[in-house]
Amino acid sequence: MVDYTALLPAGIVIVTAMIVLLTGLFIEQKKILGYITLVGLLTSLGLVLKDWNLTATFDSAPFYGAIVVDPFAQIFNAMFLIVGVLVAIAALKAYGDNPRQDEFYSMMLLATVGMMVVAMSKDLLALFIGFELASIATYAMAGFDKRDPKSIEAALKYFLIGGLSSSLMVFGISYIYGLTGSTNIDAIALAFGANPGLATTPAILLAMVMLIAGFGFKMAFVPFHMWAPDTYEGAPSIVSALLAAGSKKMGFAAAFRIFIVGLVAMKVDWYIAFMILAVLTMTVGNILAVMQTSIKRMLAYSSIAHAGYIAVVFVVVAYWNAPDSAVNLAVTGGLMHAFSHAIGKAAAFIAVAAIAYMILSKDKVDDPNHVSNYDGLAKRAPMTAFLFALLLCSLAGIPPLFGFTSKFVLFLSTIEAGLLGLAIICVLNSALSVYYYAKVVMRMYWGEPKGEAFVEPSTYVFVLAIAVIALIALFFAPGDLVYQWAETAAHAVTGV
Amino acid sequence: MSDVATATTALMDFRPYAHWIMLLPMIGFLLELLIGKYTWRKGGMFATLSILGSVIISYGCLYNVYVQHLGFWEYSWDWFYPGIVAGFTIDPLSLAMLCMVSFISFFIHFYAIGYMSHDCAKNVYFAETALFTGSMFGLVLSNNLLQLFIFWEMVGVCSYLLIGFWWHKPEAAAAGKKAWMSCAVGDCLFLLGIAMMYTIMVKQGITSEIISFNNIFQNLEHLSHETIFGMSALTIICILFMCGVLGKSAGFPLHVWIPDAMEGPTTVSALIHAATMVTAGVYLIARAFPIFLAAPNALMIVAFMGAFTALYASTLGLVVNDLKRIFAYSTISQLGYMIAILGCGAVLGVAAVAYALFHLVAHAFFKALLFLSSGSVLHGIGNVRDIKEMGGLLKGMPWTGYAMLAGALALIAFPFTAGYYSKDRIIEDAYIYATHGGDLGYLVWVFLVLGVILTATYTFRAWYLAMTGEPRSYPAIRPHECGFWMKTTLVVLSVFALGLGIMTGGGAKFWHFLEETFVHETHTATGVYPGLDLHEIGLLGGNSLMAHGAHPPQWVIYLPLLLMIAGLAIATTVYYKNRIDVSKYVKKDNPLYQILWNKYYLDYLFKDIIAEKIIMTVFTFWDVLDRYVIDGVVNLLSWITIQSGQVSRKLQTGVVQNYATAVIFGVSMLMILVIMFRGGL
Repeated sequence: MVDYTALLPAGIVIVTAMIVLLTGLFIEQKKILGYITLVGLLTSLGLVLKDWNLTATFDSAPFYGAIVVDPFAQIFNAMFLIVGVLVAIAALKAYGDNPRQDEFYSMMLLATVGMMVVAMSKDLLALFIGFELASIATYAMAGFDKRDPKSIEAALKYFLIGGLSSSLMVFGISYIYGLTGSTNIDAIALAFGANPGLATTPAILLAMVMLIAGFGFKMAFVPFHMWAPDTYEGAPSIVSALLAAGSKKMGFAAAFRIFIVGLVAMKVDWYIAFMILAVLTMTVGNILAVMQTSIKRMLAYSSIAHAGYIAVVFVVVAYWNAPDSAVNLAVTGGLMHAFSHAIGKAAAFIAVAAIAYMILSKDKVDDPNHVSNYDGLAKRAPMTAFLFALLLCSLAGIPPLFGFTSKFVLFLSTIEAGLLGLAIICVLNSALSVYYYAKVVMRMYWGEPKGEAFVEPSTYVFVLAIAVIALIALFFAPGDLVYQWAETAAHAVTGV
Repeated sequence: MSDVATATTALMDFRPYAHWIMLLPMIGFLLELLIGKYTWRKGGMFATLSILGSVIISYGCLYNVYVQHLGFWEYSWDWFYPGIVAGFTIDPLSLAMLCMVSFISFFIHFYAIGYMSHDCAKNVYFAETALFTGSMFGLVLSNNLLQLFIFWEMVGVCSYLLIGFWWHKPEAAAAGKKAWMSCAVGDCLFLLGIAMMYTIMVKQGITSEIISFNNIFQNLEHLSHETIFGMSALTIICILFMCGVLGKSAGFPLHVWIPDAMEGPTTVSALIHAATMVTAGVYLIARAFPIFLAAPNALMIVAFMGAFTALYASTLGLVVNDLKRIFAYSTISQLGYMIAILGCGAVLGVAAVAYALFHLVAHAFFKALLFLSSGSVLHGIGNVRDIKEMGGLLKGMPWTGYAMLAGALALIAFPFTAGYYSKDRIIEDAYIYATHGGDLGYLVWVFLVLGVILTATYTFRAWYLAMTGEPRSYPAIRPHECGFWMKTTLVVLSVFALGLGIMTGGGAKFWHFLEETFVHETHTATGVYPGLDLHEIGLLGGNSLMAHGAHPPQWVIYLPLLLMIAGLAIATTVYYKNRIDVSKYVKKDNPLYQILWNKYYLDYLFKDIIAEKIIMTVFTFWDVLDRYVIDGVVNLLSWITIQSGQVSRKLQTGVVQNYATAVIFGVSMLMILVIMFRGGL
């Protein structure tokens, strides 16, 4: 008898989604559904945290080795669930009176399950199914405010480009299956070992580029990023939080597994591809973020820049002179940065939602996300402004926040690998990014307030406070919890 | 060991809770800041009680180690990168500091409840002092250089905040800035030293606990072979550490901030600029003592800088008329004594650390007492600080007057007071150092001995002028004595200032306990750091430690006593009996007086010459360069950035077909690039 308890976290989320969807049909007072969602997510998160170091494989029917639970899957599961919890709490306020909130919660839960499946899958087919489950659920969520044309436009763009990328991805997967005879990631890696000529065929090269493009869409690498700012801006802010913090990390979970485990024999080829993408992504992301006047677009571009930082992991892993210690450090740093960015960015979008809510309640403005609305916010909404400023500091990588630690470890790995040029580009980019974060903080603290003080919505402030406390606590964490976890997960992937 | 443990009263093991010594005041800081305003007497309760908690844990640890012999202990955990740890260490050295800081800080908080009673931002004051105290505990408990440095800076920040606590006074704001700038000079160099230490440790292939003190000590033999620019790396590191010490412990020439720092509330002067914070530098040398010992010539520099500062500052104390500034100069001078004796460790070994620490603790008691009693004077006569406007205060405020007398007697090392045991020991051993340490060694001893006569003179000049004779100004006619909180503190501190030496068996118990530092093993969670053989470590730096049992000749032992009596006699004849009129010499046209009055022109040199002339000239040059050359480049870069942003923004058309084209374009370009990179298909 196989022990399936390792799959319980995902199972709980699925069951919760079903309960929420079905109960929603029958009850009038739907606010309870948000709390059910939270209970499900928190239970699942608790189980993941308890078994953070668990390794379990399922080789027999019905999984045939397609699903695996290891520290790598668990750290991503934790990220997705934390983002889910933050978004769910924020949704209690944002959609507390919405008659369709059951749809929102169930789709959010299904998206979370999809992401978790991607993190746990060791087979391209299972991975693709999880990927599509998450994508389709988030397409619908992006257009959730269906009376808002911007939201519809955002959803449509996201859907069209998403469809294109999915087709590229399936195309790549089919080529890989044709050439190696398997969709199992371990078997693919073995096929390269058995047939050394395979790595140099043009067809496999095409497959690799297709996969990079397919995942690059989710991770928002330049030039596959263009949907991201429009979608993040148009979608409801808390959905943007889920997209930027959760769905984007799903792309990394998939890419880490496929490239670092499955296609490791071709690393000379993806070294150059990721080098170009990483540098391009962080630079373009940061430069365009400087130009933005909408906070949500600024956060979208900053999220693109962060994807560029995390892409550095692939470059270090593929670099032929990099010592094993640097490879491990890079994956560790990448996972840590994904973690810190997930918390920071999710909370930042929720902060934007909170601020927009407050501004719409008092001021008559067309666009509540315009940066000029943030003038003097520290006097009008001191708690929110303070927490938002700290979140921006974490994104900028300023101690004592976890964003500093993760960025530090990530950039350090490039130095340890001997990629000094890349390290300098990263640091310069990071310095540039401080400019646009600081600009917002300065507006909040030194700008002239445009009206009287707000009543700060306590639910939002609560979410932000949790995120900020977590970021500070993880910076000071004894023994550095996330570092250990990420390091164990890195071992699970790199195998060195 | 078990026999001893069972023989003594079983007391819980406090050592695993050592971090709470630091955390409690930090919690006190938060509570005080957030809700202090709404509590008892509008602030002060949380800070005082949290520090009382620290006192209890500190003395519990002392009991564990000193009475129960539970051994030295250290625990640490990986912080944000392997090898960078956070950790706490409990050994006689840290215990001596912890017990002293917590005790003094508690009583100063107690005193401040009365002293600050009229201040409107009382809770902010107490929050800042609690944060300061917590940071100081953190500094003392640190088992590694980086953590020590972080707390070192936090202590500096608190000092800046507290000096400028009455920020509406321009002098106070300027004094805070000056303190910050002077310390920053030293701190930058100190940080550089830490970075160098990290580098040479990594070079040895060490991957864990890279800059933890005990791990550095274990590797000194390898480290002593490292060189930078042909010099021993350890010596350079020690000199850089010494720069940090000169900033924080007010050594020449970075001492200039201490006298100005007296603009803060007197309790701050007592807490930070006399008793605790300024001793951080001394503590750093003591904590890193084996490194200094293994570095050629480093301790010689320490000894000389210390002795010079001791004499230099005491000459300045002679001419200042501000009561608090007189004691400020005496602080600089006494810190000089401590640093000098640490330098003598090149011959004396770990005994030097014990002597320095004993003087540090004794000094903390009597200097806190002197400052608090002068605070009481200020409180009683309406913030008059000029001793020329005082006089005859003893009648109106006997408690304060006699408390100050007790402090003054301890400061000048009057027989059987705490200072007598601590300071005379330093001078005797400086002589032993001199006989072993070459010609420069005698200079150290001579400086320290000359300091004694000056100390006695300026201390009693201040006391006689303030307390005896006729009142010389209106407020001095009717002084009012301080209240319960302040009086209690003065009495407690007087008892210690007078009796600490006798309580510790003439210091012997204290020295024996402290001499166990470094030479005994330290337990950690995973293993044991064996004790150090300081003789061998000394040989690495060319220092041959003396075997035990050298005694200086009799006349050396009695000389400081005689000189002290001489200095006291001078002060008595001039300022009490008024037999000699010094006004003939104390005039602006006397060049010697003028030099002293202008503090050897050091402020002039720093501010008017270095800051305003040299640096301004350089800055003007840089300004021109910056405005026309660098700004040009920066503007060009930002223009390019913004232009490229504009261009790429145009690509972001919002038309989904264009986005799809971009995706396909990206795929094609990637394909081409990858093929080019591998050199064709």
